[in-house]
Amino acid sequence: MKKTSLLLLITLLCLSVVLAACGKNSNTGNKGNTGNEGTANNAEKGNDAPKPVKLSILAWNNEKEMKPVIDGFKEKYPHISFDFQFAPPVKDYIAKLQTMLLSNTAPDIFIIAAENRNEIIDGGYALDLTDEPFMSVMLDSNKPMLSKDGRTYAFTQSGWAGGLFYNKQLFQKAGITKLPETWDEFIQDCLKLKEAGIIPLYDRMHDITIIHSAMFGSNVLTKDPTFDEKLFKGEATFAEGWTEVLTMWKEGLIDNKILTPDMIGLTGDQVMNEFSLGNVAMFPGGPWNIATIEKTNPDIEFEIMPIPGKEPGNKYYNGAPGVGFAVNSKTKNKEEALLFLEYMTTQEGLKQFEEGTGGIITAHGYESKVHPAYAPAYNDGLMAGKIYLPMVSWDRHQEALRNQFLVSIQDIAVNKITPEQATASLDKKLKEMENK
Amino acid sequence: MVKYVRQLQFLLFLLPILAIYSLFTIYPLIKSFFLSFTNFDGYTEAYDFIGLKNYVRIFSDDAITSAISYTLFFTFGKALLVTLLAIPLAMILDQKFLTRNIHRAIFFFPSIPSGLLLAYIWGFILAPIGSGVLNSVLSELFNIGPQPWLSAPLLAKLSTIVVATWAITGWHAVLYLAFLQSIPKDYYEAASIDGANRLQQIRFITFPLLAPAMTVSVMLLLTGGLKVFEIPFALTKGGPGYETYSITQVIVLRGISETQYGLASAMSIVFFLIVLAIAIFQVTVMQRREQGIQ
Repeated sequence: MKKTSLLLLITLLCLSVVLAACGKNSNTGNKGNTGNEGTANNAEKGNDAPKPVKLSILAWNNEKEMKPVIDGFKEKYPHISFDFQFAPPVKDYIAKLQTMLLSNTAPDIFIIAAENRNEIIDGGYALDLTDEPFMSVMLDSNKPMLSKDGRTYAFTQSGWAGGLFYNKQLFQKAGITKLPETWDEFIQDCLKLKEAGIIPLYDRMHDITIIHSAMFGSNVLTKDPTFDEKLFKGEATFAEGWTEVLTMWKEGLIDNKILTPDMIGLTGDQVMNEFSLGNVAMFPGGPWNIATIEKTNPDIEFEIMPIPGKEPGNKYYNGAPGVGFAVNSKTKNKEEALLFLEYMTTQEGLKQFEEGTGGIITAHGYESKVHPAYAPAYNDGLMAGKIYLPMVSWDRHQEALRNQFLVSIQDIAVNKITPEQATASLDKKLKEMENK
Repeated sequence: MVKYVRQLQFLLFLLPILAIYSLFTIYPLIKSFFLSFTNFDGYTEAYDFIGLKNYVRIFSDDAITSAISYTLFFTFGKALLVTLLAIPLAMILDQKFLTRNIHRAIFFFPSIPSGLLLAYIWGFILAPIGSGVLNSVLSELFNIGPQPWLSAPLLAKLSTIVVATWAITGWHAVLYLAFLQSIPKDYYEAASIDGANRLQQIRFITFPLLAPAMTVSVMLLLTGGLKVFEIPFALTKGGPGYETYSITQVIVLRGISETQYGLASAMSIVFFLIVLAIAIFQVTVMQRREQGIQ
């Protein structure tokens, strides 16, 4: 019997260790919160020597990229330190934030992206920043992505535009002297390159590509800028807006074998590498590619160009506002979190953010320096508002529609379905998601 | 009474692990079952019961029907290839030769790194453009133009099976090797005295005695194959279209990317039942075969 009681004791010990481990988490969590509460109260009282506060932040820029702006802030407010967390964009970041929000462990400051803005804003997870004075720095064209019913929930200081990078030397070799003004001219140029023995274009067809987005801009939005609004009110369909775009894309690029289905298997790095090495004349890319292209091949002469529409003069880039920084609505350090956001809107903060992340600043009163190869996209696209990204413009179900779109364009590329079938499947998907 | 107390002791020892198992396995499973009847989106705690609507939606979902057919093709294709390759490989590795241990290690190695990593490396080898490793070798040696290894529907399916087979064959060969070594050498001696040649020995001694190993290996291959995610995902991202979408990828897509947790839960419950049914069927059939042989 003695043996039994010993065994019983051991089992109980095991169990208590397990239970203690479970309990510990919640204890430390509470402790942390109460600690923060205390310091926040002190700060509110305006004590001369503010007690140290630890701001937690989850970003998809890594620590190295965020270091300049965080260091600048810490210099100004030495009593505030950071618990910095990073998750790589996009899926990992969204999944991590989602878990944290649902388990009430979300950080004081986090990022809202096009992919999760509805869930965050509708769930009431982000503080309404509309009336904060520092929000005046934000461009109006950057606001819709981070707003709902006229209220803005995050601050973004950046934006990006993507287009087609082209190799000037290869264009010359093929006898192309000026950039295409219409879609037909663009296709003619591609065929000229092909005749000269040059691969005209690589595209991975891995997403709603830069080409598709810009084509939609130059063909549909130039006629009706409110198309997406109507689409989500049920007054328009994908078939009405996208069938022509996808037909032009298929007839121009797929049927002429300028894009071939084997490109589906390429990776982004492979495409960029082939362009840098001069093996292909064009590839769709954005500002993030420039440094690597120059590093791989310092002698390359290249520039970015828009995608022209059917009619001359209608040119668009693909692009969107950068992700926005939001304050957790349940934060215990509201004042400090807002201080950090305010710091990011100052000239100093904007400069440090630009330096650290290499992003392009699109804020009132700040002039961003861009690479000469990127100047057309910056001037004629980003600052002129000639950019379009479906995931930002679509009101709901972005991810579901995006996946359906991706599958559809690959099916078109391998000649499994027609553009009409593709847009019908998008309309079906939207209907299904609305009724789920 | 003493017997009862002894049994109680064993049960007590099981308690901690039972608690952990319940917390991390049973509870999520039940919760998943519960959520499969709701429209939970993964963000808001408020959700409604929608009955069997999710289960009905599964079967009208193009992605899932395509994923089920690909996953079954992948699973049985891989299981067949691995079994065909692993048994002869194990027999070779069972021979006595100088570099035997090094060879065992070499063949076992591909099963160590994660599938994701292996598939990314294979992505470079199978790159569809002319500068892809395999394509440049083929064009140098046989003057064959670039092949769309990862973007033509059938080739992409076959490529994923080949990479998965390459990765896991060595592991299963080691499993067979362990069983091979447990076969008493006397059987072979007796057989050779009776005049049986090498092929007859393999057919009448090695093969029947490997039956238990085959049951285990095939079961692992089937359940592992049905749960496949990394290799097709890293190689093709599921493309072109839905051609190489695995069932698990659709569940992740619908659940996490599209925030339809209810639907994804219903999918995983159906998936769980499919795996369970196939595994039970396979083990029963193969155990019966074992008994038949012995």
